[in-house]
Amino acid sequence: MANIPASVVRYIQSMWMAEMILTYLHVDIQGRLIDWGGYPQHYGLIDLTKDKLVVEQVNFLDGFLDITHTEVLQYLNIGGSRYINVHIVPLDGSIYVLLFDVTDEHNKQQKMQQQVNELSILTYRQSQLLQELETTRKKLSEEKKQLEQAIKLKSNFIATLSHELRTPLTSIMGYTKLLDDAKQANDYETKYLDSVKRNANHLLSLIDNVLDQTKLEIGQIKLHSNNCNVKQLLADLKSLFLPIAQEKNLLFDIKISNNLPTQLIIDELRFRQVLINLITNGIKFTDKGFVEVEIAWQNGRLDFTVTDSGPGISSESQQKIFTAFHRESTAKTLPGAGLGLAISYHLVELMGGQLSVESSPQFGSNFTGFISANSVQFPNNNVNSISHTNIKVLLVDDSIDLRSLIELYLENYGYAVITASDGQEAVKLALQTKPDIILMDMQMPVLDGYNAVQQLRAKKFTKPIIALSGSNIEHDRKYAFEVGCNEYMTKPVDPENLLNTISKIIQ
Amino acid sequence: MAILQKKICMIGDFSVGKTSLVAKFVRQTFSDKYLTTVGVKIDTKLLKLPDGNQVKFILWDIAGSDSLTTTTASYLRGAAGFLLVVDGTRLPTWNSALNLRLAVEKQIGSKPFIILLNKADLQEQWEMNEQAIEEKTKQGWKLLTTSAKNGMNVEQAFLELALLMT
Ligand SMILES: Nc1nc2c(ncn2[C@@H]2O[C@H](COP(=O)(O)OP(=O)(O)OP(=O)(O)O)[C@@H](O)[C@H]2O)c(=O)[nH]1
Ligand SMILES: [Mg+2]
Repeated sequence: MANIPASVVRYIQSMWMAEMILTYLHVDIQGRLIDWGGYPQHYGLIDLTKDKLVVEQVNFLDGFLDITHTEVLQYLNIGGSRYINVHIVPLDGSIYVLLFDVTDEHNKQQKMQQQVNELSILTYRQSQLLQELETTRKKLSEEKKQLEQAIKLKSNFIATLSHELRTPLTSIMGYTKLLDDAKQANDYETKYLDSVKRNANHLLSLIDNVLDQTKLEIGQIKLHSNNCNVKQLLADLKSLFLPIAQEKNLLFDIKISNNLPTQLIIDELRFRQVLINLITNGIKFTDKGFVEVEIAWQNGRLDFTVTDSGPGISSESQQKIFTAFHRESTAKTLPGAGLGLAISYHLVELMGGQLSVESSPQFGSNFTGFISANSVQFPNNNVNSISHTNIKVLLVDDSIDLRSLIELYLENYGYAVITASDGQEAVKLALQTKPDIILMDMQMPVLDGYNAVQQLRAKKFTKPIIALSGSNIEHDRKYAFEVGCNEYMTKPVDPENLLNTISKIIQ
Repeated sequence: MAILQKKICMIGDFSVGKTSLVAKFVRQTFSDKYLTTVGVKIDTKLLKLPDGNQVKFILWDIAGSDSLTTTTASYLRGAAGFLLVVDGTRLPTWNSALNLRLAVEKQIGSKPFIILLNKADLQEQWEMNEQAIEEKTKQGWKLLTTSAKNGMNVEQAFLELALLMT
């Protein structure tokens, strides 16, 4: 240490680095190495030559020889594993470069910094991933929205299309019927006409089912719950299906529990549709044995069961059977689009109930369901006792015989009756005379009943309309309600029943 | 005749690849393992310029940070130019680079530099904003896409910086 000025020694001592291996270089004003001391080789500084430029021997000093005050370089690594703190101290025109070994301190610092940096990168990657996840989620939900929109558009399209198909088809059916009625047809012609009728009917029920399914999908089916004569409804169904079952040599019965009220508040049209779907299926798939319906009522709940002795449904199919367009492999040879059960399932749900199936290949199938159905205390009015003098009835029918018959009957009970012979006339008269109720034949020339009712409803005619129809085909009944009828009665009309219905509706 | 000696600093946020670029350039090595630099690591490399002249690079590989600390600022003295390194897979390191450039200029005045968009081999994680890059190019900045892993543009980066400094 003898060569170092006292002031530099004091500087060194102020660092409290006594235990460190001190090494120094002394550089003159021209940047030449004058002298060194300590252990430069400890830091890899070998072959030092006096009087040569120091920057050529100790590269890192390049740029530091013109300093005016002490400069400290921390944690310098110039090769090897050693870390140096370099203090460059200008003194009287020359420079002292002091080297301290700080490897241990560096390594501690390095470990800490390493952890901090790694954590920071990890956090960044994590936040990036979360963001990516969020972006993906947003994209997916956007796509989902678009898909739903597309499905809705498509459903709307199908609904419109079905509706459009329906109109010409009804007209084909109407004219077929007229042709049938008007003509003494020979065997051939009768056969051809029957075939046209059958196929048109089939097509129509197909369209109606597609329409229903689509409307259910887009939530367009609304219930119209009302007083319904359930016993009458079930009697109707029995007389509708008995001949069909008998044709296949099947036993058919509808069993009703004793406590079933006559009147229940349900959507008659839809409940009827469900039962018809289930019974039709039962009869369609059963070749031998029976189809049986059981109806029971308790505390606002109407239970129904349709049991058959048919081929049964495999358990894996039972899970899919209520899905739209699902068709049993056994049903491939039979007509249908596989919509009936899906529609029934959703309708029952809509009516506050449930529909399920139990089945085994040995015993056949059993469809069980319920809907909510409150009873009504219907005041038992004697129709004949009410005065009908102020009640104006518009009777519309193209058949003059039927018109006079019903007119006579109604007038007998005090109704004021106006008549029209086709839909066009009916619309005109209804708007002029404002009747309290309209009895509307559905199949008429010029303008049929469906169109007439539609026009009237469009022109804000709000009074009740009873459809009188020669057709007991289910979709005709449904369509009549759809266009705005309040009741649907099939011809031949029982006069007593007609009077009852009129007075019930007018109330 | 003494060989021309140039001090070059490696500047940029932590873990952008400064040490890796120097290792590739000087020793043709690369390691996937990350060992952060604390302080500064000095290397030298003799570079042959296209005109036949040789230049000795004294490379200061400085600890990464998003801003200039007093410790790191003192390393800059005497630098003839610097490489501003960005991790192409971490967008925030781009802004760090822009901040650092301003701080360096304040410290040692305007010096030649090149921006290196490093880790170009990780294209699927690339986060660089093309528009921002284009904007800088239009301002006359020199940018290079590099990879210390596969060596892409590494030699080129140092060579171009050398040319900017002569
Ligand atoms: N794939 C890939 N990885 C790289 C590249 N360059 C560096 N890395 C990796 O990135 C990490 C950080 O590299 P370093 O060279 O230590 O980064 P640095 O800028 O020196 O980091 P600090 O010293 O902390 O400032 C290491 O794991 C390297 O292996 C590259 O071009 N491609
Ligand atoms: Mg490093």
